[in-house]
Amino acid sequence: MNSTSETLEPLFNFLDTSLLTLEDTFNKLPGSAVILRYVRSSHRNDPGRTVLELILLLFAIWTLLQSRTRADRTEKHFIQFTDKEIDELVDEWTPEPLGQPLSAKEQADLASVPIIAGPNGPKPKLVSTGKTVTNLASLNFTGLAGNEHIKQRAIETLKKYGLGSCGPPGFYGTLDVHMDLERDIADFLGAESAILYSQGFSTISSVVPAFCKRGDIIVADRGVSFAIHKGIQISRSTVRWYDHNDLKSLEDVLEGVEKERRKRRGPLTRRFIITEGIFEKDGVMVDLPKLIELKYKHKFRLILDESFSFGTVGRTGRGLTELYNVPAEKVDMLVGSVAIGLCSSGGFCAGSQTVVDHQRINGPSFVFSASMPPLLSVSASEGINILRSTPSILTTLQENIRAARAILDRVDCITIPSHPASPIIHIYVRSAPTTSLHPSAAAHSPTKPSNPASVLPRDAANWDWDVETEERVLQDVVEEALAQGVMITKAKRLRGQEAVEPRPSIRLALTSALTKKETEKAVGVVKTALVKVLGRRR
Amino acid sequence: MPASSPLPSPMALNIAAPNPSMFKKRSSQTLAPLASAASYLSALSQADARARHSHGRTPTATPALSLSSSITSSSEDTVLNEGDPSSHAHGFDNFDGLALPVRPPTSEQVFTTLHTEFGHCANEAYRLTSQHTQGEAVPAHVEQDPPYYILLSTYISYLILICVGHVRDFVGKRLSPGSYTHLVPRNGYAPLNSDFDSFYTRRLKTRMDECFSQPVTGVAGRTIMLLDRISPDYNHTQILTGTRTRALNISSYNYLGFAQARGGCADAVEEVIRRYGVSTCGARLEGGSSDLHTVTEALVANFVGMEDAMISSMGFATNSALIPALVGKGCLVISDELNHASIRFGTRLSGANVRMFKHNDMGSLEALLREVISQGQPKTHRPWKKILVIVEGLYSMEGTLANIPVILELKKKYKFYLFVDEAHSIGALGPHGRGVADYFNIPPRSIDILMGTFTKSFGAAGGYIAGTKSLIDRVRLRGHLGPYAEAMTPPVLTQVLASMASIMGVSPPLPPLDGGEGVVTTSGTYVHPGPAPASSLPNWLTLPYALASGTEGRTRLRRLAFNSRYLHNGLIKLGFITYGHPSSPIVPLLLFNPGKMNMFHRMMKDRKTPIIVVVVAYPATPLVTSRVRFCVSAAHTKEDVDVVLRACDEVGDVLDLKHGIGRGERWTVEKIVERAAEVAGM
Ligand SMILES: Cc1ncc(COP(=O)(O)O)c(C=O)c1O
Repeated sequence: MNSTSETLEPLFNFLDTSLLTLEDTFNKLPGSAVILRYVRSSHRNDPGRTVLELILLLFAIWTLLQSRTRADRTEKHFIQFTDKEIDELVDEWTPEPLGQPLSAKEQADLASVPIIAGPNGPKPKLVSTGKTVTNLASLNFTGLAGNEHIKQRAIETLKKYGLGSCGPPGFYGTLDVHMDLERDIADFLGAESAILYSQGFSTISSVVPAFCKRGDIIVADRGVSFAIHKGIQISRSTVRWYDHNDLKSLEDVLEGVEKERRKRRGPLTRRFIITEGIFEKDGVMVDLPKLIELKYKHKFRLILDESFSFGTVGRTGRGLTELYNVPAEKVDMLVGSVAIGLCSSGGFCAGSQTVVDHQRINGPSFVFSASMPPLLSVSASEGINILRSTPSILTTLQENIRAARAILDRVDCITIPSHPASPIIHIYVRSAPTTSLHPSAAAHSPTKPSNPASVLPRDAANWDWDVETEERVLQDVVEEALAQGVMITKAKRLRGQEAVEPRPSIRLALTSALTKKETEKAVGVVKTALVKVLGRRR
Repeated sequence: MPASSPLPSPMALNIAAPNPSMFKKRSSQTLAPLASAASYLSALSQADARARHSHGRTPTATPALSLSSSITSSSEDTVLNEGDPSSHAHGFDNFDGLALPVRPPTSEQVFTTLHTEFGHCANEAYRLTSQHTQGEAVPAHVEQDPPYYILLSTYISYLILICVGHVRDFVGKRLSPGSYTHLVPRNGYAPLNSDFDSFYTRRLKTRMDECFSQPVTGVAGRTIMLLDRISPDYNHTQILTGTRTRALNISSYNYLGFAQARGGCADAVEEVIRRYGVSTCGARLEGGSSDLHTVTEALVANFVGMEDAMISSMGFATNSALIPALVGKGCLVISDELNHASIRFGTRLSGANVRMFKHNDMGSLEALLREVISQGQPKTHRPWKKILVIVEGLYSMEGTLANIPVILELKKKYKFYLFVDEAHSIGALGPHGRGVADYFNIPPRSIDILMGTFTKSFGAAGGYIAGTKSLIDRVRLRGHLGPYAEAMTPPVLTQVLASMASIMGVSPPLPPLDGGEGVVTTSGTYVHPGPAPASSLPNWLTLPYALASGTEGRTRLRRLAFNSRYLHNGLIKLGFITYGHPSSPIVPLLLFNPGKMNMFHRMMKDRKTPIIVVVVAYPATPLVTSRVRFCVSAAHTKEDVDVVLRACDEVGDVLDLKHGIGRGERWTVEKIVERAAEVAGM
C-alpha cells in the first residue's frame, strides 16, 4: 500500500485546487472505475470492440439500476393489484405447516437410532439396554478413538489453548497447531500443501464450488456421495455423468466433452473429474492409476474424495495413493476426512500450493466458518504420528476385513458391492434371480450408453428393488444382530433428496480395535441374523 | 497502563525485531511532529526493510521491570508461558500493560482467572444489563455519510489501485510472463483462476494481506499471542520470524470470555477427555450419538426456551445443510440482503425461491411480503406453500440488531415463518444472555426457529437449531447432517454444557449474592425460566461454586454489556462514525479509504500496547464503507477499553477518521475515560 499512498499525496494536492471542475465528473466516478478497467482490457484484445463493449456496459448498468428500483414489476407475469386486493389475498393465504410431523415409520426410524452411554469405541455400552455391544456401526477404522496417548496430548493442548478458536481462519483463527496439522497431512500424503476445514462433510461441498464455476465442466461418477452432489449443485457448472465406477464409460464421456467443445469452438474452460476413492454409497474402489491416466490424457483436473479411503487403506493408511503407489501430486485436489480417518473432527484438501491458496480465499466453508478447536487438531496430528509408526494398525484392519468378507461372501441371500479391501462393507438383499445383475456390477451388456446429461443410469428403469420393503427387512436384521450383542446400522439416506436413490443396505464399519477373533464372532452374528431374517422372508 | 502515564506514541513501533533504537533516530530526524500519514508510512517501510535485514538476529529484550510479587505471576503462569521465548526474554515485566492488572488486587478480591485470558475487573460500576427499553422503537440502520472529500478520495483510491494494478499486469505480463503462468491456459488446462476474476485478490487484497490470516497461538482470550511474520516480497509469501508478540485481542468472537485454558469449563473438558476421549466416530444416525448429545440438546433447548434442539458439529453447516430440511420447491425464502454466506448456501441448496429485502428495513420487508403473497409463485401464480423469513439476530459486519418486535407484528399479519440466526447474539445479548428475544423481552417461542452457533459466546464450536419437537425431529431425520456429518465431539459438547450451565446457573439455586438483580425477572408477559435443574447435567460434571451459582455468568453478561456500550458510545463521543446498535458487542468503525485499513491495522498493532483489529473491505462490505470491526468481550476490563479508545483517538487524528458528531459535541478521551459509566449509560 505504501507506493499507492505516496502516489496519492501529490494527487490530493492537485485535486484540492481543481475540485470544482472535478465536481461534475465525480457523480460518474463510481462507475468509471469499472468502465476504465473494461476499456483497458478489451482495448488490449481488440480495439474495435472497445466502443461496443462500453455501450454494452452502460446498458448493463442501466438495466441493473432499473431492476433495483422497480423489482420485477416490469415482468410480463406481473399482475397489478390494488392495496385492498392485496390485503384480501394476504388474508386468504394459508401456508402449509413449517414441518409435517413425522410419520409412524419415520418416528420408528428415529427411535431405533442407537445412543451410546459413555465413550464410543469397539465395545460401547448402549443407553437403551445398558448392555455392552460389539460395534460394527461407528467409524473407528484405525481404532484411534479412546487412545490414551491422544487423550493426553488433547489435555495438554487444552491447557495451553483452551477449547474454541473463536474466529475464522482469516481473523485470528489460524493457530500454529492448525498450520502444523496442515503440514503433517501434506507430508503424510506427499502433497505440496493442505488446507483444513472444520467439518468433514462440509469439506467437499465447499471444495467443489471453490473451483468449479458456472460454465466449467464437471464429469462425475453417478454414484458419488450426497456431499459431492451438493457441491456440484451449488457450483452451477455443467455436469456430465459417467456410469458408476466404469472407467470405460468415463473415457467415452471425456471424449464426448472434448468433441462437444471442438464442435462449438468454445473457449477452453476448466474441466474436472470428480469421484471418490472408496465410495460412501457402496464401498466400491476406484482404479486410481487408470483414472490418472485418463485425466492426463484428456487434460482434466481430478477432485478425488478420499473420505473413506484415507486412514483405511495403504500400508500406513495414506489412502489410495499409497495403495496404488501413485504420487499424491498427481491428484489435483485430494479431499479427505480428519473425522473419519483420524478419529478427530474436520476435513482437508491436499494439493499444490496454488490449489490450497485458492481455497483460502474461495472456499465458502473455510472462509466463513470458525477454525476447528485446537485440541482436535493436535489429536489428528497425533493420529498421523501413530499411523506412521504403527503399520500393524492397518494390517490388523485389513485382516479383519478379509475375515469378515470370508464369512459374508458365503452368504447367498445377499450381495456385497464393496471392494474386498474396503473397510465399509455394504450388504444388499439379493434380488430374485430373474433379473440378472445389479447396476454396480459394472459388467452390463454394452448396448446403448447412458445419457451423460442425466444423473440416472440407463438401466435405472429396470431396478427391481423396493426401497420400503428392503429397508424394513434390513432393519429387522439390524435389530436381530443387536439382540445378539452386535451393533450394526443401515446406511441412512435422505430418501427423496438424493440425486440417485441408493439401494438400501446395511453398512458394516470394521475396525482394527477388535481382534480377528472378535471380528469373526461379530460378523458371524450378523450372518446368522441375515440368514434368519432373509430366510424367513423367502 | 496507569491512566496518568504518558501515552505511548504510535511510533513506538514493535515490529518483528523490537529494537527500540532502530526507530528513535528516525523519529527524531524527520518525524518529530508526526502529523501526516504519509510520513508514518515511509517510516514504516524503512522499518520493514530493516526488520527484513535483521531477520534472524535475536530480538533485543527490553530491560525487565520485575513485578513478580503479583498474583498472576504464579507458578501456573510460568507453566503457561513455557516455550514462549518472548516471555522468557521479558521475564514478567508488564511493559505493554497486558500481563498484569493496572490496580493490584486488594486482599479480599480473589480472581480465579488468568488476567491475560480473562481480565480482572472488580469495579461494580462497570457493569450494565443488556436490555431493550420497553416501548422504545428499535433504531433503524442509518448509514452516516462521511464528508464529501472522503468519498471522493475513496473512489479515487480505488481508481488508482485498479489502474496501477492493470498497468502492473500489462507490464508484468510482458516482462516476467513466468509469474503469470497460473492465470493463462497452459498445456491444455484452463487456469484455475481467471485473470479477471482474480484481479481483485491479486492487486488489491494482496496489498493488505498483512491484516489477514495472522497466525496466533494460545488462547484467543483477552489477549492473544501473535506469531510475528514478515513478508520479503510484498505479501506474496509470509515468513514467521519465530518471535511472538502479546496483543490486546479485540477481534475474536469471544463475547462472554469463555475462551479460557483455565477455570471450571476447562476442568470439565479435561474430565470429559479422560472419560470419553476426543471422538464420536461417525454420524448421529449411524452410531455416532452419545448420551452427551442428548443431555446437551436438552440443555440447549432449555437455554434458548424452545421445545427441542439439535446440535451440529459446525455452525456453517447448521445453516447450509439444515435449511434444506425446512423449505423446498414451491417455498419462498425471504432473506435480509446482508445475511451470512451459510444462509445463502443453505437456501440455494434447498431449491426454494429466494428474495431479498434491504438490510433491516421493515418497510422494504413489508412491501416485498405484499408483493410475493399477492403474486404467488412466478409464472404459475400458485400460492406459495410457505414463506420463511430469515434474519440474523445480530449482524456480524454491521452490528445491527434485527428489528424482531416489528417482524413479529408483520408475522401475525402475513403468516410467514421466522428463522433467526443467533450466531452472534446468543449469549451476547439480553439480561439472561438468551439472545435477541431476551433482549427485547419477547417469548422465544413466538419465533419459529432459533439457530445459533457455539463458536462465539460459548468458546466452543458447532451450532444448534431449535424449535418445536416435531420440527426438530424432522430436521434430525431429513437434514443433511444426521446421516452424513460427523457428530460433535465430547470435549466440544462439554464446553457447551459447562459454559451454558454457568450462564443459567444450576439449581438448587444458591441465594442471589447481590440482592439487586434476581435470576428470574418477571416483566411484561414473559416469565423467564429459572436456572437449569442440576439433573440436566451429567453427574460427573461438577462446576465450581462461582459457575454453578450463576454469579460468574451474570457478571460476564453485565461486563460485556458495559464494555459494548462504553466502547460504542466512547467512539461516537470521540467523533468517529460507527454503525450498529449501541448494545451490540460488535462495533464497526468506518474507515472508508482502502489505504487507511492497512494503516489503521498496523498503527494499532505497533503501539506500545499492541492491539489487534479486524479490518474488512469489499467484497464483505460495500465498496466505500471499509471498516474496522471491534468485537468486545466480557474478558476485557474497563482499562482495556480505555486503551482501545486512546489508541483510536490518536490513530484517528493521524488518519483523519473523525467525521461523526461535530467538534463542539465531542469529548476528549480523558473526559470519556473518567466518566466511563456515564458514557456507557448514554
Ligand atoms: C450469522 C452466522 N451464521 C453462521 C456462522 C457460522 O458459524 P461457524 O463459525 O460456527 O461455522 C457465522 C460465523 O461467522 C455467522 O456469522
